[in-house]
Amino acid sequence: MQIRRKSTAGTMQSSDLMVVVEPAETLQIDIESTVKKQFEHLIRARIETTLRDLGVAAGHVRVSDRGALDYAIAARVETAIHRASQE
Amino acid sequence: MFDQPTEREVRELIESQGLRYEAGVDEQVGWYENGRLAACGARKGYVLKMLAIAPEFRGTDILGALVTRLVLSGLSAGHETVLLFTRPENAGIFEALNFRLLATHGTAALLEHGPGLEAYLASHPAAPGRNGAIVLNGNPFTLGHLHLVEGAAKAVDRLYLFVVSEDCSAFPFAARLRLAREATARLANVTVLETSRYAVSAGTFPSYFLKRRDEAAQAQMRLDLDLFARRIAPAFHVVRRFAGAEPLCPATRAYNAAMAEVLPEAGIALTEVPRLEAGGAPVSATRVRAAFAAGDFKALADLVPPSTLQFLRSDEARPIAGRLKGA
Repeated sequence: MQIRRKSTAGTMQSSDLMVVVEPAETLQIDIESTVKKQFEHLIRARIETTLRDLGVAAGHVRVSDRGALDYAIAARVETAIHRASQE
Repeated sequence: MFDQPTEREVRELIESQGLRYEAGVDEQVGWYENGRLAACGARKGYVLKMLAIAPEFRGTDILGALVTRLVLSGLSAGHETVLLFTRPENAGIFEALNFRLLATHGTAALLEHGPGLEAYLASHPAAPGRNGAIVLNGNPFTLGHLHLVEGAAKAVDRLYLFVVSEDCSAFPFAARLRLAREATARLANVTVLETSRYAVSAGTFPSYFLKRRDEAAQAQMRLDLDLFARRIAPAFHVVRRFAGAEPLCPATRAYNAAMAEVLPEAGIALTEVPRLEAGGAPVSATRVRAAFAAGDFKALADLVPPSTLQFLRSDEARPIAGRLKGA
């Protein structure tokens, strides 16, 4: 899938995350998280897997996370990508 | 549940929390519990304002829901980053929402959400050395500004000239930036940059544009200067800030006085340079605007550099003269 326009998914509420994706030449993932110190690598890995599964190779993905579980991360990222892929 | 609150409801809630009601925001949201306004918040441009929660709903996640609304509405209006003021004791509540503390001074703290300051600093790599800085509006750029810049440039390795990005002045930002660049182009160690949201902006110092001089304005200018001293200056290796002495405008004079107080505390020296005079009076942008509004190009020639004069004579500047006359 391709990121064609700027889209968002999720919220800034506890145990959730907000994802903002927009078109870019390369893949860039920026993570803000209240549990960044402990879990940034796991959050990043989960985002990368989700993007790979969706066939997304380029785009700017920004995440503001408040301790979401990994399946919530995958679901929010997937939703944002689906929205961004529509014309 | 979310709903559109009335002005009376918002006023009641935020005033009960010691905040001041402000009209003219871009977005106003409210959260209702049992038909009563439990929390509210607003966004004006990239600044979140008037966030308040009734005491009995503290500790719930209503704030997360409210801020989500406001951040999303900011994003769809093109603001990747939003700022907010709060009391220092509340900063932690917003840090738990992934806001970052930018500055704190006395009774006020400034936080942001989004790529913000780090992205701004990353996009402006700084020269090594013992550098200087001037922050100016340049509305428009005068011989007085040039005098200040020339003197400062001689005293430091590199001089960063930050032009206020906020579009709240008679001359639009693009023109103010261009005129500052043109007038200083021959000075090899001067770099002209935009301030973005981080100096004398609607985010850091909104009352500057309202020329207000109350307690809130005092708190804002100290916060603005704390941000400059602790985040901007170190990134640009700035050890000294330069400012023109202010004989006329009380708001600018108050800002200079705050500089003399806040900057040295953070290890940044301040040099106040006496104003250049022409015809027995200080050269100021206020005087230039008055002459421009009156169409007095003879007077302007003694007040502004050739690049500014050329701009003032251009078609592009005509609507500005019209606005100044109307003001």
